[in-house]
Amino acid sequence: MSSDGLDLRIEDLTVVYGGVTALDSVNITVPPGGFVTVLGANGAGKTTLVRSITSLLYLHKGRVRRGSITLGGESILAKKSPDIVKAGVAQVPEGRKLFPNLTVKENLLCGAASRSDVDAIDDSLEQNLELFPQLRPLLNQTAGLLSGGEQQMVAVGRALMSDPALLICDELSLGLAPKIVHRLFELLTEINERRGTSILVIEQNASLALQHAADAYVLELGRVLIEGTADELRGNPMVQELYLGGGGEAHTSYAAIERPSRRPEAHGRRPPVSES
Amino acid sequence: MLLAFGNFTADPSVNLQLLIGGLALGAIYAVVALGFVLVYKSTDVLNLAHGEFLMLGAYFALTFLISENLNFFLGVFVLLLVMLVFGLLVHYGIMRRMVGQGFFAIVLITLGIATIIRALLLIFYGPTERARLDLLPQGSFEVGGATVRYVDLIIFGVVAACVLLFFIFFKYTRLGLHMRAVADDIEAAAAMGIDPDKVYAMTWAAAMVMAGVGGLLFGHVTGAIDRSIEAIGLRAFPAAVVGGLTSLGGSIVGGLVVGVIEQFANGHLGTKWREPVAFSVMFVVLLVRPTGLWGRKDLERV
Amino acid sequence: MTAVENPAPQQEDSPTYRPSTIQRLLPFAVAAVVPFILGSTTENVNFWWKALITVVVLAVVARMAWVWTPRGELTHREDMRLWRTPSDRSWAAVTTFGLLVLPFILASDFTPPMDFPWATWFAVVNLVLIFAMGAAAFNLLVGYSGQISLAHVAFLALGSIVGGIVGVQWSGGNMWVALPAAALAGAVVGAISGLPALRLKHLYLLLATFGFHFVMMLVWREYLQEYFGFVGIRFKGENSPRIASWLHWLPGIDPDDNGEFIITGQFRWYWVLMPITVLSILFMVNVVRTREGRAFAAVRDRDVSASLLGINVARSKLLAFALSSAVVSMSGVLASFYIGSRGEDSFNVQTVLNYAIIIVVGGFSSIQGAIFGSAFFWFLPEWFKWAREELWIVRDIDFLSDYPSEIDLAIKGFLVVIILMFKPDGLAGLWKDVKGWIGRSLARRGP
Repeated sequence: MSSDGLDLRIEDLTVVYGGVTALDSVNITVPPGGFVTVLGANGAGKTTLVRSITSLLYLHKGRVRRGSITLGGESILAKKSPDIVKAGVAQVPEGRKLFPNLTVKENLLCGAASRSDVDAIDDSLEQNLELFPQLRPLLNQTAGLLSGGEQQMVAVGRALMSDPALLICDELSLGLAPKIVHRLFELLTEINERRGTSILVIEQNASLALQHAADAYVLELGRVLIEGTADELRGNPMVQELYLGGGGEAHTSYAAIERPSRRPEAHGRRPPVSES
Repeated sequence: MLLAFGNFTADPSVNLQLLIGGLALGAIYAVVALGFVLVYKSTDVLNLAHGEFLMLGAYFALTFLISENLNFFLGVFVLLLVMLVFGLLVHYGIMRRMVGQGFFAIVLITLGIATIIRALLLIFYGPTERARLDLLPQGSFEVGGATVRYVDLIIFGVVAACVLLFFIFFKYTRLGLHMRAVADDIEAAAAMGIDPDKVYAMTWAAAMVMAGVGGLLFGHVTGAIDRSIEAIGLRAFPAAVVGGLTSLGGSIVGGLVVGVIEQFANGHLGTKWREPVAFSVMFVVLLVRPTGLWGRKDLERV
Repeated sequence: MTAVENPAPQQEDSPTYRPSTIQRLLPFAVAAVVPFILGSTTENVNFWWKALITVVVLAVVARMAWVWTPRGELTHREDMRLWRTPSDRSWAAVTTFGLLVLPFILASDFTPPMDFPWATWFAVVNLVLIFAMGAAAFNLLVGYSGQISLAHVAFLALGSIVGGIVGVQWSGGNMWVALPAAALAGAVVGAISGLPALRLKHLYLLLATFGFHFVMMLVWREYLQEYFGFVGIRFKGENSPRIASWLHWLPGIDPDDNGEFIITGQFRWYWVLMPITVLSILFMVNVVRTREGRAFAAVRDRDVSASLLGINVARSKLLAFALSSAVVSMSGVLASFYIGSRGEDSFNVQTVLNYAIIIVVGGFSSIQGAIFGSAFFWFLPEWFKWAREELWIVRDIDFLSDYPSEIDLAIKGFLVVIILMFKPDGLAGLWKDVKGWIGRSLARRGP
């Protein structure tokens, strides 16, 4: 695989679903060939972030109200998802999202859907199988019947089939044994270093993500709460408290964190009736 | 409807005739069911307008093959081409905006499309009924005291060929693979760079072409071409369901099973039992095995 | 909309106000009484004078209902009222007045400009009432409870069968016995037809109920052939429903030449159909507001979660089917007696489509949408016919007058498609927008 990593710049991104703001003025930058992680709890807006980059918001009735997303200096905001994949963005969706009724090989081939260099697809398949030798005997198995770890490998392999310049992994660790997650992250680092592919990892498992990534962002209720290098964040007491499960003193500061509210104004709800 | 019976005895030749009639009817059902299955399989839309699509095909066949008197193969080519364009029109004009809408809203919009097609056909072709098509060989031969029409055999062959063709298309071509991927998980497919829009457009076009084939074939066996032939769309429902709405091969088996059952009900119980029996069979299959005999059982994780 | 109109801060600012009981009831009393006074005293008055009086009364009633509305901090009881806000109460009062005054207006002699159809209006209004009742019940099941069913027309047929057995064969035209019988039969058969819903969803439920439709059609045809032959059931002539004897003292109710009190003519039918439709729609609106109604919505949105909340999902689904089917069967009885005869083809697949059109145009999952939808469904052909014959430019297009019913059909089809694409909540949604706009502009000026 040849593509060099491209840089991704998200500036002032605001996304709404109906009247609900899911992302609020988010700025995130992935340098070319960089390895960036975005941390956050459930409902922080991580998946919305991925959907906005890959232009899949429309499937969920969401829309970008403001802001820009550029890949390698070129805006990808108005593009349709096939063109974004063609531009070099591949993703490992949350919950893997394999095509359960297709075989492993067919799943991998679907990853190359956007490629027009048909002859090179076989080479990519071969490279993938070198990366994940466990998949070789499973090629003709129905993907829905594989174990979680195997499915995640197929999902990563499928994303790599498009020869991406930027690889987005959404919740790679979800529902997998720690050992497998470790292995997957090592593979990501390897891909990042050897091929120069930019990588954006969206994670809940903060300790692991911070070990491998260079830069990190903490997303909460649709806003970037903290940003910095992975080392800085590891040292940040708030991050330790919220995401790494340590740091005694930080207990007090938890309540002090000014949390942005997702719904600043009430949406026409009838006020509660006081009993008097 | 296809064959009339005066004799309701258990005479083996009558039963053989019923079987043959049932298989012939079943082949027609299979053509229609294939159209349902194509659309449902990849777009999750229950297309209640398919009967009207078929009627459109039959009337266009009248225009191109009878009125314009084109050469048979050229006429069929033009017919299928026009149907393909109409399929693209249905997708890009209407269905495209409905992606992500509720299930029943989409069912209702297909009913709306059905109504439009019916009205326009009435306006442009008038209510007078036309003689059925007679371009395929019209003769018949005898087997064990029962009559077999050549047309039925041809229909049979065409259906089998279509199923085989679609099977190969889905299994071995890149576009076919992408269509299956979209059917499995539209969001994941879109994330992989497959354009669901294009796939859906292809699906509707394919369904329309299938309806063109169906209209051409059905136009040869129906009593007359008039506004009532859209009913074949509803009558083929049990076939599609029994076979499984997601299985191409199931549509052919389901068609034959339901066709034979209907024809026997018709022969031994009377015409009025035909639809209730077919729909009762469907009902039982739904309760026992909702995905039909060969349908795909979605792996769902809560 | 109502909730938006009364946001929290305003409510705290506005002083507490409680109208007396008389004040609360007065607008409705006026709305109920005035039409009858007008009807009995203005027989020789010019139509336009009557129209003017009507409009004035309308405005007065609306204003009274608006002003005499509880304001400020509401008790729970007041908060749960069906008509809670000023705009709700005004619309309710206006609707009451409109429904009662309508037959007197329609019965009056009047030649509208440009021959705008007038004589046919009454018949159309009565049909709208019957169809609104059935469509509202359909919406309760399909839209509100989310149980997709195409067996709707089967219950109209059931109503006709019960009407035939109880109303014609047993009692020779007693609609009043047939109605509750049909409701009972509809509830029982409806619950049975809902059994597949316990196992099936979406597509499969739709197909199963459609199968039920064909089974019911078989029963209908068998019944017809057994007792009535191909001509179908006659619900008119000697089988016409009669006015109950305890109502004979009412003014304006006179026996015909044979000394019989037959319900005939649009005016009398209106007074039969309107109360039944209004009551059944109010009943359904109230069901939606109760615990059971909320359970319907919960089951629609996610039945697994609903069962975790302690809702008996099976019971809730079957109840939705039973309720809806009972009302539809009753509308089937009414339609049979009103139209006068029901035959082999009275319940074809096109009828299923018609109800679907009504629901989509009126507004999916809104009970009042059913009223808009059926009004639209029946008035459209009338107006289109008038436009074809009278409206300049339009009447010169031969194409339109050559294919009247086909173009009608095409318009309906296009409407369904366009509404589903661009305004999924239909006419009810449009009405809500308009009402909200009026409410807001009134609120801006202060009531």
